[in-house]
Amino acid sequence: MTTALERLFLTAQGIPTDRIPVFCNMLEQGAIELGLPLKEYYSKGEYVAEGQLRLQKKYGHDNVWGLFYVGKEAELLGCRNIIYASDGPPNVGDMVVRTLDDIEKLKVPDDITSHPAFAEIKICMDILRRECAGRIPICAYVTSSMTLPAILMGMEKWLDLLMNGPAEARDLMLEKCNQFFRKEIRAYREAGANVLVYANAFGSLDIIPERFFRELSLPWIRRDLEEGGVEGVVYYCGGARMNPVIDQVYQATGIGTFYLSPLDDIATGKGIINGRALCGGVINDIELIDWTPEQVRMEVKRMLQAGMPGGKFFFGTILMPMSVPEQNIHAMIDAAIEFGAES
Amino acid sequence: MKNMISEQYQQAVFDTDRQLALQIVQNAIDNGVLPEEIVFDIVVPSIEDSISSVSERRYTNLAQHFMASQIAAEVTEMMVPLFRQAPEIVGKMVIGTSSGDFHGLGKRIVKGCLKAQMIEVTDLGLSVPAERFVDQAVELGAAVIGISSMMAHTARSENGSIGVRRLLKERGLEQQIRIIVGGTPYNHDERLYRTVCADAWARNGIEAGAVIVRLLGEIRP
Ligand code: B12
Repeated sequence: MTTALERLFLTAQGIPTDRIPVFCNMLEQGAIELGLPLKEYYSKGEYVAEGQLRLQKKYGHDNVWGLFYVGKEAELLGCRNIIYASDGPPNVGDMVVRTLDDIEKLKVPDDITSHPAFAEIKICMDILRRECAGRIPICAYVTSSMTLPAILMGMEKWLDLLMNGPAEARDLMLEKCNQFFRKEIRAYREAGANVLVYANAFGSLDIIPERFFRELSLPWIRRDLEEGGVEGVVYYCGGARMNPVIDQVYQATGIGTFYLSPLDDIATGKGIINGRALCGGVINDIELIDWTPEQVRMEVKRMLQAGMPGGKFFFGTILMPMSVPEQNIHAMIDAAIEFGAES
Repeated sequence: MKNMISEQYQQAVFDTDRQLALQIVQNAIDNGVLPEEIVFDIVVPSIEDSISSVSERRYTNLAQHFMASQIAAEVTEMMVPLFRQAPEIVGKMVIGTSSGDFHGLGKRIVKGCLKAQMIEVTDLGLSVPAERFVDQAVELGAAVIGISSMMAHTARSENGSIGVRRLLKERGLEQQIRIIVGGTPYNHDERLYRTVCADAWARNGIEAGAVIVRLLGEIRP
């Protein structure tokens, strides 16, 4: 039987296999499986790993995650307050950088793997590696230099600094985030991640103007990836659209996978990629909260019809909201497995 | 001349060039254009221009919305004290992010756009409980409550728009106060505003102005 990892590998090569890979990104749902409150669930790597494994067994999708929540990256850089909710993902509740002077003071740990906030990630990754290595792709989430400041200083202040300067402070911020990024992606690779989701909302023209994309985003994408290379790297704009930048990002980096926005037209995206890379067609998972299973099934079918011709295509979600009913998760994954098998 | 200034100003805002936009305003003042004219004939039309589908300048990214709002608010703040007469306020509203939500950017953009349209906005801050939205609206005499949410669970929470609606009903305030919502979950699902019992939603800060003016109009006899 084809494993999930082989399926991904073959699809990326453009070699036909039993069906397309089906990614379903669930985080908080692991706590539901374990019957734990979110705060407790996220306190231990064992819990998160166990949650991921149970979800994968239950729904049969083709990936697991070593990500707890995005705010973890801020914790690695000194954030001490994470705000938990009972019904949704935790949020950063304390900005590490409040003033321009704080940028100067921001300290990137020499070795992030020895940072206490990484300890539980490491435990989680070790378990996932033990249980999944060679069989199921293990995903890690690494935020780009251009985007990380959004959780270190807040979207508002970062946009302000980006657009209005001063340029020296902006560049120092980017420089430090880049130092962090290089260490982080290396740490995750060493811990066993084979899918590295490169999260770059500020690499979408929905967020910044074309000129800023060319003059800032693109050079920093190159710098983020030059040392470690693009193996396993997935370009992802945090749910914002990417069709207009795919060609430039590919030319600049050779990234092998593009994970579209639900707002991108799938056929257009595939046309732009034009066989040069793997394309992920992504469902609007916020709508899954209210749809009926039949609607979910029809939407998956529509997406696959748009994306599968020509191969090098897989199905995915953004981050499934916690309130998506189980029957819709089943309907989505089952439909992707069913329709994804037709050639 | 005012047309030319307006055109240059609009282009500078579209290009997210704050320095140039402020320079254009300064030059205009130096050339005898009145502060009232700057706000009502240049700044406000530039906000309208950016939502008008006939304009070839369609604002497509968040940074443009952010800058347009920031520049509009900045210029308005500079000009209002120079008015010969205090400007007439179109209406009052309160705005905040829903309980459990710490994303303040959407709110800030909306606020900036509304300022230039002479809507008096009181910012209630981040993670505002439903009760506080209503109490403050009543206390300040605001006719519109604006609720910003960046996450699905905070948009749908009982302590968000749904809670505000319940309180308005309980206290018999539905005729006097309207609810407008906005934020990412609404942009992903255009019917969501009804699910959460709001009266309206807007896709961005620039459209919000027009919608709020409409809501205020509904309330006025
Ligand atoms: C940039 C971004 C990020 C950045 C920065 C986040 C931040 N602000 O701190 C990063 C990459 C760090 C990030 C992280 C996360 N994100 Co995020 N992110 C986005 C993205 C791409 C844009 C969101 C944003 O900040 N927009 C800025 C606002 C201002 O833009 P806007 O919504 O267009 O605002 C306009 C309108 O909505 C309107 N408006 C706004 N408020 C109001 C109010 C009123 C009254 C009116 C009338 C109008 C109005 O006017 C605004 C201005 O024009 C969206 C996806 C998308 N395509 O939108 C996801 C998204 C918001 N993120 C999401 C999630 C889940 C997260 C995380 C919680 C993930 C996790 N599990 O850890 C983390 C949380 C991080 C934290 N804060 O701790 C989800 C939320 C949906 C959900 N499932 O609940 C989204 C929708 C992605 C998705 N589809 O899954 N994210």
